[in-house]
Amino acid sequence: MKLKLPGSIASSQDLTALLIEIREYSHWFAHESIKKRVDAKHSSATPTMSTGAMELLRDWKIKHQISQQSLDELVKTLEDYCKTAPSLTITLAMSPTSSLKTALVTWCRENIAPDVLVAFRFNATILGGLVVHFGSHVFDWSFRRQILANREFFPEVLRRV
Amino acid sequence: MSITFLQIFLLINVFLIGAVFATALRHAYAHFRPHSHDSEKIHQTAAQVVHLSPKVRDSLLQSAQDKFQTILNHSAEQLERDLKATVEQLNSRLEKLGTEIVGDEMRRYRMDLDQLRKQTEANITGAQTEITEHQTDLKAKIDKKQAELEAKLVEEIANEKKILIQQIDTKLADAVASFLTETLGHNIDLGAQSTYLTSMLEEHKTELIKGINDET
Repeated sequence: MKLKLPGSIASSQDLTALLIEIREYSHWFAHESIKKRVDAKHSSATPTMSTGAMELLRDWKIKHQISQQSLDELVKTLEDYCKTAPSLTITLAMSPTSSLKTALVTWCRENIAPDVLVAFRFNATILGGLVVHFGSHVFDWSFRRQILANREFFPEVLRRV
Repeated sequence: MSITFLQIFLLINVFLIGAVFATALRHAYAHFRPHSHDSEKIHQTAAQVVHLSPKVRDSLLQSAQDKFQTILNHSAEQLERDLKATVEQLNSRLEKLGTEIVGDEMRRYRMDLDQLRKQTEANITGAQTEITEHQTDLKAKIDKKQAELEAKLVEEIANEKKILIQQIDTKLADAVASFLTETLGHNIDLGAQSTYLTSMLEEHKTELIKGINDET
């Protein structure tokens, strides 16, 4: 089953963290179900969850009834997702903001693959632009590369100035 | 002052010598040319008083003439001796006076010379001191002026350097900006990374998808 991750869940690390949160929620849900069955008066509070996890659960709840089984299925889906999803790395010149991350991840999932995982790195020496790593492929669209590729053009510009 | 005294003394001596010479001349003239009226008077008196034989009279005359000649010679000799002594004394005195005057003059000349030398030395020393002070003052002024000029020069160079660096920076910044703008494309806005990066991905979308498909 295809799972649509929120834009804030970009990399495999984010997905692993999400999986841990969902598992924790699943355990809590199981405990609460047992307490309900035995009419236990004491109930523990819902575990603290990230926005991404809450968003995922909300989407999952729309399609599936929340039950222990469905939560186990969600965990299994996430584990499969983690194993099978293609992963690429985008290197930027500076640490990306969350909005920039979301924008880039959304673009990648709309244009490359809907389940793609995107890891972000930052390297100031590229000056700007981005470098995309996918497997053994490296797509360098950084400012540094463009400047170096056009360095013979610099004296002409300097003369014009 | 001494010269004046010397001149007066010499004039007195000349006057005395002149007087002595005039007296001697008068005596000599009287000796060789006796007055006719005196001899006539004597002869008249003798003729009036005594009537002597020509022989006696001649012998008397001869005797008187000899005596007179002797006295005259004696007087002339004495006058000559006196004159010689006077001349010697005058010479010795003149020599002594001359020596004293020359000595005094020489001493005064030496004193004046010493004074002049001392004064000249003092003047030279003063002048040298003044020259040294002037040179020191001049050197200090030159050093001060040189330091001022150097400081001013350094400041001007620093200002010029700063201006040139600013100009170079400005030019370089313009050049780099132009270069980046022309190299990276005209639609780049470095402040809008998101849009630029998305447009970059859109631009290379095909290439990227092809690469991913090749990889998988």
